[in-house]
Formats: sequence, structure tokens, C-alpha cells
Amino acid sequence: MEGKIIVVTSGKGGVGKTTVTASIGAALALQGKRVAVVDMDIGLRNLDVVMGLENRIVFNIVDLINGRCKIRQAAIKDRRINNLFLIPASQSDDKNAIKPEDMSKICEQLKKEFDFTFLDCPAGIEQGFKNAIEAADEALVVCTPEVSAVRDADRVIGLLYARSITPKLIVNRIIPKMVQKGDMLSHEDVVEVLSIDLVGLVEMDDAVVIATNTGTPLVMQKDSKAGKAFTRIGMRLDGHPDLPVEDPSSQKSLWKKLGITFSRKNRIAS
Amino acid sequence: MAYEKSDKKPEENDIPVRLKGVGDSLWVTFDPGRSPDVLKVALAKPFERLGYLAVNARVILDPCGREVAESLVKILENFLRQEFQVGQVSLPPSPRPDKAKIEKREQDTKSGWGNADGDTVIISGRVRSGQKVEAKKHLVILGDLNPGAEAISGGDIIVMGNLLGTALAGQPDNEQAVIIALDFRPTQVQIGGFVAAGVPSTPGIHPEIARVEDNCVIVDDYVKASPFKRLAWPKIR
Repeated sequence: MEGKIIVVTSGKGGVGKTTVTASIGAALALQGKRVAVVDMDIGLRNLDVVMGLENRIVFNIVDLINGRCKIRQAAIKDRRINNLFLIPASQSDDKNAIKPEDMSKICEQLKKEFDFTFLDCPAGIEQGFKNAIEAADEALVVCTPEVSAVRDADRVIGLLYARSITPKLIVNRIIPKMVQKGDMLSHEDVVEVLSIDLVGLVEMDDAVVIATNTGTPLVMQKDSKAGKAFTRIGMRLDGHPDLPVEDPSSQKSLWKKLGITFSRKNRIAS
Repeated sequence: MAYEKSDKKPEENDIPVRLKGVGDSLWVTFDPGRSPDVLKVALAKPFERLGYLAVNARVILDPCGREVAESLVKILENFLRQEFQVGQVSLPPSPRPDKAKIEKREQDTKSGWGNADGDTVIISGRVRSGQKVEAKKHLVILGDLNPGAEAISGGDIIVMGNLLGTALAGQPDNEQAVIIALDFRPTQVQIGGFVAAGVPSTPGIHPEIARVEDNCVIVDDYVKASPFKRLAWPKIR
């Protein structure tokens, strides 16, 4: 059976596309799938840094497209997670170094080699975006609960629909306290405007900063809320679409729940 | 110039080689599972019949979509060159991308609202950021107009949903036009040449209407303050 090509996009920069790509890729690889993550941000690569593989790059996606190497040479195997491979972007070329037709050919080959291929799309809707969506079967749109991110995500969703690609939504960097105060858009607000299927909600987590700076997989950190959310997103993509989406704003620990129960009882008693 | 008239593949009726003329080439379909010697014998028959017509002819060796060893192609190429002095020998060109598949991926835009050419346009769905809907006269949207989207009409604009984007009614100079939305929270509205931005929304969702009155854009509750209630006789807009 052929694998899936999934593009991770957002329109706006800095919303967490690269972290989402690396984390979901790692989550699926840990679940036993053969996964490739491809950095499509030619000229500004950083997926290699996030995955801690920057010192092992020999070939890149431009080399692969120009026939200077084979997939097996360009795909760098992750040291910690079996079945996870990175195809890095070129740092010295620009987005025009490849064409959408080239991506179609490469993705046909990637489908045969991997169960899942995630394309980390650059910000914007220009050539880099066009290259990334050309051969995609599915799309994950990453959006933070900010008005500007929602606006850009909406634009990208329109462009994806125009290419008959049905996108799914990940709302990233939710800060529950701010949502409860009304200082941040809730995920319901975001979903209401974008009106596409929600595949995951990811809470703001300091562990993300540490993981991206040290190049360690977020999903392997057991106490990371974001890591758990990405693991669940991976499961939803891998044949468990009905797995409930946990709302970080309503999540409370057992002690907090008990505390609330006791305080209510005390109030009633008094 | 067809020598073997049959649509069946070679393996289906046990003929290892078939030859026909395609354009300026000789198209040879062959069974790559057969040994080179069998194929050579089978090739010799039709090429002998061709005689001098085969000299310098362009030959395409087609393995019927099956995988073929490069060495076998080389053997057959050398055989045809030496025995019949054929010209260029090649494998069939790779199939062109499926046109229907490409069109399918782009059908949404083709069947979309961009092709509407009536005076009054009624569309259903969500108009997203960066999209623009235009109508010569009235425009009805059965859905939402998202922030960053634009609706432009020569007459009225009616949004049966959330109006969050930009609505330009009565363009260029129809000041009688109105804008009605079930949830009226636009980024900006224009009626004729009058522009209103940052229209404060009243709490709760209820239909509102924007119109020009005394050289100013007024937004009112549609049910309570509809200007059409005062009309003595129904008329076409």
C-alpha cells in the first residue's frame, strides 16, 4: 500500500509548523510507522536543527530532485527513533530551485518508501508553498489563537480547497489561563471562523523551547503536555480519527478536581 | 502500416512480438519474459518483410508496461541495428500526467463563484480570506464572509451568516443600497462612496442593516428599525 503525503502549512510564520512536523513525525515513527519529514523551506532550513541532525547532512532535497543522490542517501536516519528519517532543505539555494512537477515525481517515490511523508511548508503562499502542496494528499493547517494567524490560515485553507485538498486543523500554543480570562481566542473561536475538522489542540509548553533548542524529540518527554498532544494527533492520523480531542482549557488535575469538590462541599456546609 | 492486427497483448495469444507503425516510428511490443533468442527469431520475421523500409527507421521497444532488463533492451537494439540497419531504438516515452486527475484537483475553482455572470448572484458557502465575490447588482451569501474576504456589489449585499470581512455595496455610486447580515461584525463597509470602519457590534447575535442616511452610514437592528417597513407599496430593488 502506498504511503500518504501530508503537508504541514499555516500561511503565517512562527506558529510552530516545524515543531508540529518533527513531533508528529516522531510520534508516528514511535508507533511503528516508517516516516519521512521533508524540510521544504529551501534557503532557510531549520527542521534539521529541531531534530538535532544538522551535523549529519550530506545531501538535501535539491540534490535529490536534480538526481545527484537517491532517497536513501538524502534521508538521514534519526538516532533515537527507528523508522524516522529527515530529508533536509538546501541552505544555499532559493525556493525557485525546484518546481511543483519535481515534487510530484519525488513524492511518488517517497510514497513507495514511507508510510507517512510530512512536508514542512515554508511560511507564505508563494513558490515554496506551491511546491509543497503540489503532491500533497492531505494537509495539516497549524494556527495559533491569534487574529493574524487565523486570517492567514483562512487564506491558506481557501488555496488548499482550490487544489481539492481537504485540510485539518491544529490549534497550537493555547494558554488556558488567558483563554479563561478572555484575553486569548478560544479554540472554538478559531474553529468557528476556519470551519474545518479539528485534529488537535496543543497547549503552550516550555518543554517545546527546550526540545527545539536541544534537538530532542518532544514526544519522548513523558511530562510534556505538548508532547502528549502530538502523540494523540499522530494516533488520529494513523487510523484512530475518533480519538477525542482534549481541551487544554478544561483540563484539571485530580487534586484540583478534588479541591474544587471539597471547597463546594465546605461552602454548602457553611 | 499494421502488420499484426490484434489488440491482444503478446502473452495472451503466445506471440512474443508484435509490430505496428505509429507516426514516424515502428512500435514493437514484446514479451520481456521470453529469452533473447526467441525474441530475436520473432523480431526477424516482420522486419524481413519490411525490407528496406526498416533502414534508418525509428524503433520503439515496448515491454507492455512490464519491467525489462536494460541488458535485454541492449541485445535487441544491437540485433535490430546489425541485421536490419534500423535508426534510433528507444523505450516508449513515460506516460503523460493524467489530465483528468489534474483537472479534478482544480475543479473547485472552475465550478466556483468566479464564473457567475448574472446580475444578482446567490452563493452558498464560506468566503475565505483573500477571496473576492462580485455581483453586478445584488449579492446574497448563504454562509459566512470571513475576515480578509471581500464582497462587492452594484446593489445590496445580504449575508445569511457572519459578516466579518469587507462588504462594498452600491458600487460605484448607488447610495440607496443596503447591507444586511445575521451577525454584523464587518472589518469595513462601503455603501456608494461612503465608508464606515470599526462599526461597534452590539452584544448578542441579531440581524442588522447598514444604510446611508444624512450622508452617514447608519447600522440598525434589522427587525426593529428596518427602513422597508415604512414603504407604502412593495417594490423591486
